[in-house]
Amino acid sequence: MSSLDWVVLIATLTIIILYGIWKSRGKQSMESYFLGNQSMPWYIVLLSIIGTQASAITFISAPGQAYTDGMRFVQYYFGLPLAMVVLCITFVPIFHKLKVYTAYEFLEKRFDLKTRTLTASLFLIQRGLSTGISICAPSIILSSLLGWNLYWTNMIMGGLLIIYTVAGGTRAVAYTQTLQLAIIFGGMFLAGWMVVHLLPADIGFKQALQVSGKMEKLNVIVTKFDWNDKYNIWSGLIGGFFLALSYFGTDQSQVGRYLTAKSVKESRMGLLMNGLVKVPMQFLILLIGAMVFVFYLYFRAPIFFNEAQLARVRNTAQGPALAQLESQYGQLATQKQQQVKQLAAALEQDDAAAAATAKKVLKQTDEQAQAVRAEALSLMKKADPAADTNDTNYIFLHFVVNNLPKGLVGLLIAIIFLAAWGSIAAALNSLASTTVIDIYQRLYNGNATPEHYLRVSRLWSLIWGVFCIVVAQFASGLGSLIEVVNVLGSWFYGVTLGIFMVAFYLKRLGGTATFWGAIAAEAVVLAMYGTEQVSFLWLNAIGCVLVVVFALMIQPFVKQKATTV
Amino acid sequence: MATGPEEEKPPLFPTWRYWYALVIAWLVLLIVLFYLFTKTYS
Repeated sequence: MSSLDWVVLIATLTIIILYGIWKSRGKQSMESYFLGNQSMPWYIVLLSIIGTQASAITFISAPGQAYTDGMRFVQYYFGLPLAMVVLCITFVPIFHKLKVYTAYEFLEKRFDLKTRTLTASLFLIQRGLSTGISICAPSIILSSLLGWNLYWTNMIMGGLLIIYTVAGGTRAVAYTQTLQLAIIFGGMFLAGWMVVHLLPADIGFKQALQVSGKMEKLNVIVTKFDWNDKYNIWSGLIGGFFLALSYFGTDQSQVGRYLTAKSVKESRMGLLMNGLVKVPMQFLILLIGAMVFVFYLYFRAPIFFNEAQLARVRNTAQGPALAQLESQYGQLATQKQQQVKQLAAALEQDDAAAAATAKKVLKQTDEQAQAVRAEALSLMKKADPAADTNDTNYIFLHFVVNNLPKGLVGLLIAIIFLAAWGSIAAALNSLASTTVIDIYQRLYNGNATPEHYLRVSRLWSLIWGVFCIVVAQFASGLGSLIEVVNVLGSWFYGVTLGIFMVAFYLKRLGGTATFWGAIAAEAVVLAMYGTEQVSFLWLNAIGCVLVVVFALMIQPFVKQKATTV
Repeated sequence: MATGPEEEKPPLFPTWRYWYALVIAWLVLLIVLFYLFTKTYS
């Protein structure tokens, strides 16, 4: 990175920290620390919800996903607007009516203390570990691309935000997320504009779209149903709906965002606006990836985007064979450069026959290039069996670091930090609120002064921040970290959603039946994962259904009466 | 909160049902537009 990039990076991060500290000023109580005195307007709630969901990996990985697999990943979000409607009808009015700090407080009012404590504990385990891994995932990519020390990158990625999160609580988190998102959207817009700007002079946005479409990168909608295909309209609508419902309805890192709203109306507006903007936002981020794909048709792409990994293989016995494959890949890239120009010219002249021929030739060359790349990946595995041969997360940042002008590179790296900070800050705040409200205050010390609870809340924000950084320092050897986070979520999300589903929709079922149903369901979920009977993605749905079924089976044997809220 | 959930009128529309319908209609519109986008550029 150039000096200008460093100035932009450090200035951007400093501004955010100072802004967070500035927003932390004034007298505080536990209510202001965790709920922001329930004073937030809907647009702050909206930006806080988006800032919490959009992690660093969202901005790093999504363009790479479009580069490799096309834009169909956007379908994954189709269930989200539907989940927002269900949340507004069911979850939001009840949470506000009961004036809860955390989603799990509601479970004691509806069921009993043990069900509340169980669900809060499941959340703390899952969110604590996955936040640590979320710190490590972008750190690994940045340290690999820029040669930074991984441990220091982890410290900065997870450490600096602790300053304003501990000091200001949810209010500082929400307001910094607002400024962070403004910078993130501005930077991503600039990056998208630069991709098109860097294409050859005779290739405009329209031509780039046409080329990208012909290369099957604009496959936004896939209507064919296939159980083995993760991204089609049906899995997006159904699977995405349940995933969004469990994430926004039962995960305190999100529930804590819309509980800060000054009324039910503001909470609902924040969530509904999220339902309106989320899908177009993901579409635009993926479109950047589709444009980066076109860019690398005109300009040579490396055979593997994680250059550090590539360099390691070059220094092994497989080095000469890799060099040969890189040479072949380069020759094919030169052919593709000529062929894509022919395709663009045919499309420009509306010559359908010539365009079809040019597309066929270009696709054949691309397939040959992919075959050469597959050989290179196989070599990498030979050289280092532990090597991660998935470079999707490196594609966009490789483009940024090697092609964008000075200053903009620093801004894009800052965006990765800000995106990480937004979601980590919300996670720390929710971990602290759940620990203090659902565990400490409820089980150990219910009669302390407000000042004591505020001190304890700040202490737990700090403790969880340190815990997550420690997890991050040990997470680098776990393989694909995105998958590890998803696996962790699948162990607990389904059971947690099942408990809330029983709470909201099966009023005749009581706490004891639900508690033991959840314990049994969790045991089955973990056993199924251990025996590798089904893909972990299905464990969410299985866990949810099992809680309901087990609770229904146990209820007749329990004397306790069901309660309603 | 000053008012109960049922008393709060949504902005722009007389009831929340209109907002829910708008969100669902917007999703349907996006899916249709994305479908046309996919077909146009494939």
